[in-house]
Amino acid sequence: MKYQSIIVEDLQVAAEFLKRFCEKSGVIDVINHFLNAEDALQFLKDNVVDVIFLDVEMPGASGFELLDQLVYTPQVILTTSKTEYAYDAFQYNVTDYLKKPFTYQRFLEAVQKVSKKTEQQNGNSDMDHMFIKSDGKLIRLHNDDILFIESMGDYVKFITPAKKYITHNTIKNLETKVNPQVFMKVHRSYIVNFTKINDIQENVLFINGNMIPISKTHKSGVMQKINIL
Amino acid sequence: MHNEAHKILFAFSPDLDSDFLKDLYGEDLQQAEAVFESSVQQLRNELLLAQARFHAGDTAGLKKVVHKMKPLFGYIGLNEIMQQFAAFEEVCVKATSITETEKGFNDITSITEQAIQKIEKETRRLKQFNTQYL
Repeated sequence: MKYQSIIVEDLQVAAEFLKRFCEKSGVIDVINHFLNAEDALQFLKDNVVDVIFLDVEMPGASGFELLDQLVYTPQVILTTSKTEYAYDAFQYNVTDYLKKPFTYQRFLEAVQKVSKKTEQQNGNSDMDHMFIKSDGKLIRLHNDDILFIESMGDYVKFITPAKKYITHNTIKNLETKVNPQVFMKVHRSYIVNFTKINDIQENVLFINGNMIPISKTHKSGVMQKINIL
Repeated sequence: MHNEAHKILFAFSPDLDSDFLKDLYGEDLQQAEAVFESSVQQLRNELLLAQARFHAGDTAGLKKVVHKMKPLFGYIGLNEIMQQFAAFEEVCVKATSITETEKGFNDITSITEQAIQKIEKETRRLKQFNTQYL
């Protein structure tokens, strides 16, 4: 499998270095390179990629600010000269974290992680349920029972018609683990089961009487996903 | 076979972290040459920019340029300089006026100028070596 990628990096030398590794690997196509997050975001509004090689500190918006605004979640490999972003990297559930400059061997390890995660995500597409840890036990929740998932800081709340379950997790982390054929992120604090949406008005949607905001950046993704006649 | 023998013969200068460079580029000395050449060019440009920021009294701007220059030294096997730049970046963050950065700024300017000379020399060596394969 070949992965379509972009490089977001303000240092030309670093971008050229990385491009060469991508070419050598034979599995990563670099379809574009951006010197700042704003230009990359503009491109990503109209284009889908599998992988983003993303610098953190750039002129203008940071790499994390770009991730905050993405409508969908490609795999992200952070490329930075500092190690102090490890916690944020974990929070954003990035696939790997490369400290510049990195060797070809280390780059290949990152590519392997991309492949592994892709396999896991493809496996998730067939999943019709998930297990969550709540009240000291593992509870099986069927996708069809979940209306939406709401962030509560370091916790999330799974809302079903019958009950609410609170578990230690983040929306960012769940985003890549839930079945993308059923769930989608509509706001930084909400993932919804879009088969349960009753109606959409401007920038809010309703599920079983619950009003859920749709962020500006996720609006076009939501509209693409629903079947408008 | 002749080329293979020459590949083994090339060694990065002891002025640079040659073990690290060997790890970084492996046998791809064409890549090393391209990166060394671009790094010198970018270091020159960024140094001019850093000087402009310093003379304008812009510590935040100076910090950004220093941050951008820092990883360049990693690609050319001058990892110690990378650490010196990281330390100077901190000085810029904490500085309340540009005068507090003056000594550090003069140091990094001189370090960069010396590094450029070393890297130009190494680029010439790489170029000479790589042209054997043309």
